[in-house]
Amino acid sequence: MEKDSSKKRPDLVRLTSGIPGLDDMIEGGFPFPSVILVAGPAGTGKTTFALKYLCEGAKKGEQGLYFTTLSEPTQWMLRYASQFDFMDQGYFNDEIVYMDLGAMIRDTKPSELMSIIEEKIAEVVPQRIVIDPITVIGGMMKGDYRQFLFDLSNRLKNWNATTLVTGEVNPGELYPTEISYAVDGIILLMLSEEMGARRKYLEVLKMRGTNHQTGKQSIDISRREGIVVLKARF
Amino acid sequence: MNEKDIKLTMRLKESVGDPSFTGPILLDVKSTQFVRVNMLLLKALSNENGRSGMFISVDRPHQYMVHLLTMHQINVQGLIFVDAISQFSADCKQAQANVSFVDGPFHIDDLPGAIKEWTLKANGGSIDLKGCAFAMIDNLAALLTYNSFSSVESFLHDFVNVLSMNGRIAIPLVVDKERNQALYEMARAICKREVNVNETPTGLPDADMERRSRRISEGCFNGVSH
Repeated sequence: MEKDSSKKRPDLVRLTSGIPGLDDMIEGGFPFPSVILVAGPAGTGKTTFALKYLCEGAKKGEQGLYFTTLSEPTQWMLRYASQFDFMDQGYFNDEIVYMDLGAMIRDTKPSELMSIIEEKIAEVVPQRIVIDPITVIGGMMKGDYRQFLFDLSNRLKNWNATTLVTGEVNPGELYPTEISYAVDGIILLMLSEEMGARRKYLEVLKMRGTNHQTGKQSIDISRREGIVVLKARF
Repeated sequence: MNEKDIKLTMRLKESVGDPSFTGPILLDVKSTQFVRVNMLLLKALSNENGRSGMFISVDRPHQYMVHLLTMHQINVQGLIFVDAISQFSADCKQAQANVSFVDGPFHIDDLPGAIKEWTLKANGGSIDLKGCAFAMIDNLAALLTYNSFSSVESFLHDFVNVLSMNGRIAIPLVVDKERNQALYEMARAICKREVNVNETPTGLPDADMERRSRRISEGCFNGVSH
């Protein structure tokens, strides 16, 4: 007997990324809840990616929480981010809550840092979280960083949010390997020198539960939309 | 808790909690908002009225809801948690709560029988359901990951029947209508009331509109209107 298709297991809930062209590559968006690594060298647009993701949620009434690990005051982050048309400064401290973890990372035990992060999540109840960049924590943490990442990923999902963690990569490295096993998705942002110019690319390397498009896609960073995937748009 | 949450709590209180509603009530909620709405429902049902209730955890270990409720000063003491997922979660998060664990979210249709047994053993058993004014499941759609549709249907009918035998008890059922149409219809068939939680009281559901109205009211407060 044929099974009633309306009674099948529901598909994964997905959150749109806000990056034009990307959602078409990943069956409509990031799985909810999940932890996604956005990795790339300096200047590839990791923070722009993360901000667009939060603004996309804010536009839809989804609560955002932005953890920075760089000790950057909100003032400076906003000053640069305000250059993008998609950034509505009114979102900050309302639909998007900003928290600086920078001062707390040094000399903090993994369990204490976990508590600080969870306290803020419980307070804000976000659907979208960003930790930008997570790699700074690895360099400063006293204790087992891998175990911390595994626990963090598990807990972030149990808080019912989709979290983007950004990761700076060293020359010759595709992504920070110690994080890759703890995340559900990996998006690479790359620079390539071609005919004297540096071109930017995006590649979806891993996205659990998703039949995602593979291969490098050209991207552009514009003031209007932030990151735009060029090839997938047409 | 922000202005939006306070408004929604008031709305939930009017729909579900005050005056005391009994029996199953269906709430249409976006999947991404389940945790927030469950928290606000518990605030509306328990904190504001001092009632006790049961909370069944299927989607995430009960400790997360305990943490959330504690953070938002919502009464945890009056809650009985039934945790059906902790054994699969590899999570060592700590929380202080009145909790019973079941083996897992599979064979969920056996749970109403177990609840009935707990009730019969109330005086010497592990859980006393007699004082419960409400019962919630976090969440029905998550059960479909581990059980067939017919098992979930059977569970829901038996669950409502068993709890209804124990007196006047509100049973809010949170389902995303858009994503789980069949589940929603199944729940609707047994519910006395249906509430769309995706609407705001002002009929302005999107965040931009919500923020705009807040700015206007702040403007009035600072000006001569008040």
